[in-house]
Amino acid sequence: MPANGADWRSDHQLWVEVFVLLNFAGLIGDIALAHSTNHFRRTSEYVPLYFSIGATLTLVAIVPLRRRYAAVWRDVGYLLGWAGIGVGLVGVMLHLDSRFFFERTIESLTYAAPFAAPLAYTGLGLLLIANRMVDSQSPEWAYWILLLALGGFVGNFVFSLTDHAQNGFFHPIEWVPVVSSGLAIGFLLVPFVVRVGSGYWRVVAIVLGLQAVVGLIGFGVHAAAILRQPGATLLERVLSGAPPMAPLLFPNLAVLALIALSGMVFDYKSDLRIPKR
Amino acid sequence: MSFRPVFIAVVIAFALILSAFLINRARPAVETGQRSAEFVRAAGKCAECHTQQQYSVVHEYEISAHARKGVNCLDCHQPADRQQRKEHHGFSLSTKLTAGNCRSCHEPIYQEFLRSRHAAPSWAAVFGEKSLRPEQIEFSERYQPGGTRRPAHPLTTIEGPSATTSGCGQCHSVGRPNEDGTIGTCTACHTRHTSSVAIARLPTTCGQCHLGPDHSQLEIYEESKHGIMFHAQQHMLNLNAAPKELTTRDMFVPTCATCHMSGINGQKVTHDPSERLSYYLADPITKARPNRERAQAAMKQVCVQCHTTPLIERVYADAERVVASTNDKVQAASEVMAALRKDGILTGPPFTHPLDFVYFDLWHYDGRTSKHGAFMGGADFVQWHGNYPMLARSVELKFQAEELRRQHAGQRR
Repeated sequence: MPANGADWRSDHQLWVEVFVLLNFAGLIGDIALAHSTNHFRRTSEYVPLYFSIGATLTLVAIVPLRRRYAAVWRDVGYLLGWAGIGVGLVGVMLHLDSRFFFERTIESLTYAAPFAAPLAYTGLGLLLIANRMVDSQSPEWAYWILLLALGGFVGNFVFSLTDHAQNGFFHPIEWVPVVSSGLAIGFLLVPFVVRVGSGYWRVVAIVLGLQAVVGLIGFGVHAAAILRQPGATLLERVLSGAPPMAPLLFPNLAVLALIALSGMVFDYKSDLRIPKR
Repeated sequence: MSFRPVFIAVVIAFALILSAFLINRARPAVETGQRSAEFVRAAGKCAECHTQQQYSVVHEYEISAHARKGVNCLDCHQPADRQQRKEHHGFSLSTKLTAGNCRSCHEPIYQEFLRSRHAAPSWAAVFGEKSLRPEQIEFSERYQPGGTRRPAHPLTTIEGPSATTSGCGQCHSVGRPNEDGTIGTCTACHTRHTSSVAIARLPTTCGQCHLGPDHSQLEIYEESKHGIMFHAQQHMLNLNAAPKELTTRDMFVPTCATCHMSGINGQKVTHDPSERLSYYLADPITKARPNRERAQAAMKQVCVQCHTTPLIERVYADAERVVASTNDKVQAASEVMAALRKDGILTGPPFTHPLDFVYFDLWHYDGRTSKHGAFMGGADFVQWHGNYPMLARSVELKFQAEELRRQHAGQRR
């Protein structure tokens, strides 16, 4: 953790905390919309909604205490992190239980509730834990954050593949996020396999910029599809149409990966190497 | 900058994208080869909720020929012309399906059905012509004279709407006039979601309406050799055979549909079950149908696929004798009733005097049963469920008529 009064620009730990907080806040609306399509038929569907609200409020309360009450910030964060992991993993099982466990086919996996979506909670939980367990000034920290961003893009790849498979990729543009997230996975995975130099990180930054652009275009395309969608009210169209928030995961994860990258740049300002094992 | 990491990144990305393409290509064409994204989505999205809520509906669809041929929920549930739309989770749907939905793919079959007594005449037999459009009446009368231009059955008024709705209406709605201007519902015989030819070929499907004392076809069939052999050998029959390819190898034992509708061994398939009928057996006094010769030839052509001509001719001759003798018995009873009314002894609307019921049961139950039994190989129904009660009611009717005449004469003195 940077010393008191340290420049917020180099306080990467704070950035991750704010990132997690904003994501939990975003998930409130996202879950409310997603589970409304199902009319919150099972009581368990309220769990992620209430958890998102609780986690957001908790983080709003503890992030400012990070320096004065570091133990409170740390322990409550751990608690929230582990709870997030649990909510995410149970969510995956429940989503698969919606159909896939009855008939284990590609079709049932495609049309079941998006099974990868609850992993957002697991990812956010892991971020909270990593942000506390690993020294944010160390290169290891940057790599953990990068790894979690990579996990997010793997989720995006699966998400955009299964979600657009529901339309049978009827419009060729639906392949764009699959290709885009595939590229992100490829470029974010390499630093964990071989040594990379600063030039490579610049290429990674460009690839991440591309993800943000794809996500923003996707948001526009989804919004246009929602307006064309049959439905008596706008809310009904939003609920049953292309998920409006989903494409925003691309710029969101690009931001997380860039936080990791900036951590490396600020801390080393030189060619970066994967830490020795 | 080293080229190696960039190369590895591109290879990994390419491998992922390629595998995504390959997985998508592995999907069945019936799911993806649709006319719009909405139709592709309907191939699986509907089941996501309805598997949980109405499992059997989804399951019945999944085992249907429609599912095998890529016809999905939206194909049938999209609103047909003049049908009310309902917005439902991103789909525009029709929730009340009629023949108007089926005809979008099966128009020739719908036209055959429209010409049949299953269509408007079936509805008019209970509810009369009132709720039918003039052009529907006109059309139906052209093919089934006297079947549609008629008043509602007098029992509907006497027994009340609850009996009519839950009783008569359940079967006779096979020819109901729909709000979209079409007539009838194909699912009455093919059942919803299964859309099954095999189910439509089962005797019990026809028997859901064609049973009971007023038209005992199911019971007669069960008694006949056809019915006995069907139950013994049903498991060996190919009830799912395609209608235009059906042979006696598939159905070497007939059901109702085999003789009345199927195109066995290259015969013409029809959805007008009266196309091969030569008499109006359901009438009090049976007359030959206008197309008697052609209809009888068509039916005999079906019979000859399994039987010899002398046997067929004998069955027809015997049955026609039963028709003639039943006509004589009903005619005699009818004359007694007419005489009572003419002489002012029997007055008031139908079904208000016990004698009305005796006469009605005589032709409507016993007369019909004896005639149907004769054509369908149901000996017991010709005799003990037909001629014998007909004799008993004839005696009762004459006895009561004489009693009424005596009472009437006494009152006049």
